[in-house]
Amino acid sequence: MKYSYIKPRKKSVISAELKLIFSFFSITLIMLFLTYFFLFFKDYRFTQNIEDIKQKMIELEASVQKMNSQITFIEKEVQLSERISTKNTVLKDSIANLFDLVPQRITLSQATLLKNGLILHGITPNKDVYNFMLQAPLRSIFHRTYSSFYESQNGWLKFVSTNYIDEEELSLESPRYEEEKEVDDED
Amino acid sequence: MLGKLFESIYSKVFVAIVIERSKSVVYIQISSKKHTPKNYHKSFEDTEFTTTMREYIDSFIGESPFSYICVLDYSEEQGAIPTCSTKDMSAFGDFSASKMMCHENDWAYYTSVSGIETIKKTYAGIGVDFIFSSFSILSSFFKDKIETQLGLFVLVEENYITVGVFDKMKLLFGEHLYVGHDNNQDEMMMDSSDSEIDLDLESSIDLDDIDTMSDIDGLDDFGDIEDLDAIDEIDEFSQSQDDDFLDEEDDFLVQGPSSFNEDYQRFTAIQNSVNRFYKDSKYQSKFIETVYIADAIGVSADLKTYLEEEMFFSVFVRHIDLGGEMIDLAKAELK
Repeated sequence: MKYSYIKPRKKSVISAELKLIFSFFSITLIMLFLTYFFLFFKDYRFTQNIEDIKQKMIELEASVQKMNSQITFIEKEVQLSERISTKNTVLKDSIANLFDLVPQRITLSQATLLKNGLILHGITPNKDVYNFMLQAPLRSIFHRTYSSFYESQNGWLKFVSTNYIDEEELSLESPRYEEEKEVDDED
Repeated sequence: MLGKLFESIYSKVFVAIVIERSKSVVYIQISSKKHTPKNYHKSFEDTEFTTTMREYIDSFIGESPFSYICVLDYSEEQGAIPTCSTKDMSAFGDFSASKMMCHENDWAYYTSVSGIETIKKTYAGIGVDFIFSSFSILSSFFKDKIETQLGLFVLVEENYITVGVFDKMKLLFGEHLYVGHDNNQDEMMMDSSDSEIDLDLESSIDLDDIDTMSDIDGLDDFGDIEDLDAIDEIDEFSQSQDDDFLDEEDDFLVQGPSSFNEDYQRFTAIQNSVNRFYKDSKYQSKFIETVYIADAIGVSADLKTYLEEEMFFSVFVRHIDLGGEMIDLAKAELK
């Protein structure tokens, strides 16, 4: 039952000084915990970043390997293109030389270039012109040369000249030829 | 929960400050669940709250965080009315500036809000937990009588008298009266010779008699009623039911030269108060036969004699330890 005009003050075991000390320690502890959680979070983020970077490194390494293989492939293509270009140049020169070999009195109707040979179709006024002016330089180039003639309607001779270079003999003549051949085979 | 645990661990320190006419008494009780309560008290020759008093109190309240300071309200604006209803209160005065406390939804005691603030300000140094009204002290002290009987209950302090008419727990009338003297007058009396004291007493009695003659005349009507009652029966009643009061009466027979005058003034105040109770139509008037006095100062036998002879009351005096009673009230409120 209530008898007093006023309510008694609230009693506390903890004095004002103790409250101050407790609040100070509480704030300190809260700050420490916050710092700990902040560092913990940062550490977690850092670990996550490391994992991401590692993953990216692996991906990049794979990409680099892929690119390296592509570079190698492209380099090989470049080499191939260069070789083809060189071959074409050589072929062009060979054809030019071939056409230089053909005298004005002989007319070529077809020329077939083989890997190790040359087949020429044409018209010559006579065998002698062919033998002296075309066959002689062909023999100096090719190891084996076969020629066949048949008459045309106007009395001139059509000819087919088949010329081969023997690889065995070529290797004997020049060791460097073998090396070049191996390279060609690889391609 | 935690508070209850701490309360059981720590002992409780109750401090009751009682201001008397020329001194203050500090009552201290240290109670714990394990040990019997320890009581201390010390008088200070000052009615103001001094540093020595504060140091004395601090030496006890420092022992436990559960310390309670109890003060009695000495405001002259306090009183009691026989209703708790705000509608009915207006018949007894304007209580807009008063703090009302309802007692068991039956009657209310009040004091001025400014009085409470003054007490709080006075004891701001140590703080106040309980401010008790003299009426709550009176009703608590005479609880056994109030519950069963109709009577006039009086709390006598050095400067104040608290008067309450109760009829089986129901308050019919309540007043708080100042009967203090000027200290200068007392000092003059102390310095005077014995013959001069006698003269002063006589003159004071004469003056008081003159003042109250009209009031006594007004009580003629219940003097007749007194004659109708069997006075012997009242005496028998008092002897059979209140033996404990008779034992206590022997203690207050020590009389000083000034106590005669003071007791007569107290008697006059009680007489006037009873007169107001009978005459004022606001109060439900009932015939009073018995007076119970809670004596906090050790009144002389004169007061009892006056009341018995002049007003034909059956008077019972019981000594009250105000400090202890305040501490008991504080304990009861904390439960």
